[in-house]
Amino acid sequence: MATRLQFENNCEVGVFSKLTNAYCLVAIGGSESFYSIFETELADVIPVVKTSIGGTRIIGRLCAGNKNGLLVPHTTTDQELQHLRNSLPDSVVVQRIEERLSALGNCIACNDHVALAHTDLDRETEELIADVLGVEVFRQTIAGNILVGSYCALTNRGGLVHPHTSIEDLDELSTLLQVPLVAGTVNRGSEVIAAGMTVNDWTAFCGSDTTATELSVIESVFKLREAQPSAIVDKMRKSLIDSYV
Amino acid sequence: MTPNVKRPRRKLVARPVTFSPFARSAAHLASAYMIKRQMIENKLHESCQHTPNGKCCGQRNIDETDSDSDEESSEGVVQADFAFFDPKPDDFHGVKTLVQTFLDNEEWNLSGFVDLILEQTTVGTVVKLEDEDDDGLFSVVTALNLGRYKASDIYMQLALELVPLLIRRLFCRSYCDSLNRDDVVNSMGSWLWQDHKCMKELEEYILSVCHESNLVEQLRLLFSKRARDVGLLVSQRVVNLPPQLLPPLYDALFDEVSWAVEDEPTEELRNSFRFKTYLIVTKIYKHKKANGKLEKKADNEEEPVIYVKAEDELFHELSSWSFSFPLKIQHVTSSEASIYLLIFNNILCPRTLPSFSFFTLIFLFGTLRANTKAPVTVPSAVSYNVNLLVSAEELRINGVGYGSRSRQNPHIPTAVALSDRR
Repeated sequence: MATRLQFENNCEVGVFSKLTNAYCLVAIGGSESFYSIFETELADVIPVVKTSIGGTRIIGRLCAGNKNGLLVPHTTTDQELQHLRNSLPDSVVVQRIEERLSALGNCIACNDHVALAHTDLDRETEELIADVLGVEVFRQTIAGNILVGSYCALTNRGGLVHPHTSIEDLDELSTLLQVPLVAGTVNRGSEVIAAGMTVNDWTAFCGSDTTATELSVIESVFKLREAQPSAIVDKMRKSLIDSYV
Repeated sequence: MTPNVKRPRRKLVARPVTFSPFARSAAHLASAYMIKRQMIENKLHESCQHTPNGKCCGQRNIDETDSDSDEESSEGVVQADFAFFDPKPDDFHGVKTLVQTFLDNEEWNLSGFVDLILEQTTVGTVVKLEDEDDDGLFSVVTALNLGRYKASDIYMQLALELVPLLIRRLFCRSYCDSLNRDDVVNSMGSWLWQDHKCMKELEEYILSVCHESNLVEQLRLLFSKRARDVGLLVSQRVVNLPPQLLPPLYDALFDEVSWAVEDEPTEELRNSFRFKTYLIVTKIYKHKKANGKLEKKADNEEEPVIYVKAEDELFHELSSWSFSFPLKIQHVTSSEASIYLLIFNNILCPRTLPSFSFFTLIFLFGTLRANTKAPVTVPSAVSYNVNLLVSAEELRINGVGYGSRSRQNPHIPTAVALSDRR
């Protein structure tokens, strides 16, 4: 289910929040309504954690993570790191990495199984990504852009990429990532997909400028319409009921 | 996977050059130069193509022999041609960026407001580079009639309340997720009430920040009974836009207003541009120690008020009344802010509507209180040391086209000289 919202009149929701299947990070300093929309949607399923990274609010673009772990840049202070370690579930490993390219959210696009990385990332960082996040890492570009984390929003069920991605690139990436991909826009024609929205396997948050068309594309590619956190249980229940009909 | 293994933390002794302060300033200079490459420094010559019905796609280039580069980091002068265009729906993102802080950091229906600006193609101008097709917007100027976006009578207002409820009820029954329901409501209602919401929020915000009781009453009057005669003047631009563009820009606006009075298709639209009052919301820097008096300077060299936009000083003097209130947004200068609201009368722009003898002009200024310790000229966010000599005579001397235009306008404020302040 996709929700539209904005952070202080700014529609770039993916900059101020980070959503995964195991937790959700939200920037501090926004109005309470921003925080409460996340809370309403995510309720008791996953923890919603307010934080800053390096004293900034652009946490969505600075960190990269999935249900296994979270990578934060070297600019993260010790207090913030401790706060994250305390607030996130124990299964999530929080690791601060020393990397020249410190905007990890712009450099890394990942889901729970596979990650795309900036071509200039250190080899050590690539190993860390594979270790901490438990993913297979591919160095790729998207529509000629090396900032793969900005121009691609990825979950276990689908992905949305830069609108100018060619068909060949789409096929190649789709094979690598093993998920269906679609080239589209968010926030009324903005090409920076990951800055305009944040998504996990059952819900998405988009900027309030997102048109109905864009929203329907998002809902269909990420398969959000029928998705629920306890989808597996429901599916089993339906199959049980069907047997009586 | 052993995430708890301590990786040897090597000290980053040989840090990459991008992290050093030198590299940061070099990068800053480089980006400033990039901006300059798109900014005009000199050699604008005018060739204006007005069409009689007010649609001005003119090319405004002004000759200036004494180009004065106003920033210490300028290395060369670049030429750029600016052009004025009618607002288009494609300009959405550019206009939205410019109007972002229109109401401080208040959360309101900004997108709706931008849509209103863009759909009024007859009155309003956006400034872009002439040749390139990119969406880089440098300025937007428009005048919106406050009364036009109001529900006209009580029945309309009731309809505005009830119809969404009815629609929601209807769609509740059918299998329709909340997304589609809201969108149907929105699309059906957009011509009825979506536009109005942003204007309502704007009016409520202005009323809420005005702390002077007598002015609140006048404001209420302006927003309700006299709303049809009030024009909200929206003028936003990038900070370092060359000031030579301003006279043609404002000329274009007032020209378009007067042409709209004659040329709009319906009677109602024509009347909606007969503005008797202009309301301007803008930001200024106000010295912390200045206690509301704007006429005199303090004993030292610091100015009590700095105008972010040069023409605001002129408007300020001419306004009927004004008030200010502090801004909550932290600007680059990290100083407090307060906003003025000014109201004028006897404005010098009556050439737009020659049938009205005088106007009242209302201003809302946002001011940023300068730090008393730091000299007022320090903040770079305010392009303060701009040599601004804007007068009709000057431009005529330099060969600019006030004289060459078909419509003579004797009412232009003359000799608005805001001298170079260092």
